Amino acid sequence: MTVYSFYIFDRHAECIYKRRWLPRPASIAGKSGQSATPAISAGGGQTVRATDDDSKLVFGTVFSLRNMVRKLGGDDDNFVAFNTSQYKLHYYETPTNIKFVMLTDTKSPSMRIALQQIYINLYVEYVVKNPLSPVEHPGGVGVNNELFEESLEQFVTRVLS
Amino acid sequence: MSSSKASRIGEETRIDKVNAELVTLTYGTIVAQLCQDYDSDYQEVNKQLDKMGYNIGMRLIEDFLAKSGVGRCANFRETADMIAKVGFKIFLNVAPTVTNWTSDNNQFSLIFDENPLADFVELPDDGRAQDELWFSNILCGVLRGALEMVQMQIEAHFVSDILRGDDTTEMRVSLVRYIEDEMPPEEE
Repeated sequence: MTVYSFYIFDRHAECIYKRRWLPRPASIAGKSGQSATPAISAGGGQTVRATDDDSKLVFGTVFSLRNMVRKLGGDDDNFVAFNTSQYKLHYYETPTNIKFVMLTDTKSPSMRIALQQIYINLYVEYVVKNPLSPVEHPGGVGVNNELFEESLEQFVTRVLS
Repeated sequence: MSSSKASRIGEETRIDKVNAELVTLTYGTIVAQLCQDYDSDYQEVNKQLDKMGYNIGMRLIEDFLAKSGVGRCANFRETADMIAKVGFKIFLNVAPTVTNWTSDNNQFSLIFDENPLADFVELPDDGRAQDELWFSNILCGVLRGALEMVQMQIEAHFVSDILRGDDTTEMRVSLVRYIEDEMPPEEE
């Protein structure tokens, strides 16, 4: 299983953390020539976007989807993941309105539990409980701490792959 | 969710414990220092305690959710049970009684039979502390901060305190409004 990227959005709809593991297909990797494997260039005519735009698009998507799901299925309903032909987007939202989003390859199993574990064991432990980090994280302040980053890295490489 | 289910969650959620006296003494020291810093201006001390509590509450709620694993409450009555039987139970190991509901279900009281923050405490005998200082006022702030994070704006204050010579320690909690989801800022 491959994890492509991971985002956290806070209750103010701001992206407070983002992380990517693999270069986007057909971006810079293709141009450097010799080492680029054919598989990587599969993305077609995708333009290189600023990562900032990516997170806004992801937020817009999950926000609308979640609202639609609640309208149809009641206030307690929530979506877990959706698939495209290229990736699978996994979603977990806490009662405090923090949203965890992970993009993986299409064959991956449900990541709901994994995202919940990231919240409970990594986010709460290393970000929320750090007494010197601010309570809110405008611009990602306080989430970008070493403990959180390292444990997330470990979690994704060891546990998920 | 029934209130007995809330009690069960409160009983079964295990968290690391610290010595109760350490908490009592630490909290007492904070209050004493505030009284000193603000020259026994007890209104101001109450305000500062509430503010500190608010900041604690905003973090504590995440720990609460992570440990207890509970989801969103369906109504304010359920929220009250959650606070009393799960929240206070796992963090302070007490379970205050929820009572005195208003008919619109938006206000209730928490009656504390025991209050670990106030063990060993005797209010200063300066003729004012007994009428002005709410010793455990930090708890009001904690509730306000914690509930704000789960989209409830509330107001909380103490109405009586055994430390002041009252028969009970009672906190009044009122729901002001449910907070709407914030939308992402408009694109330029």
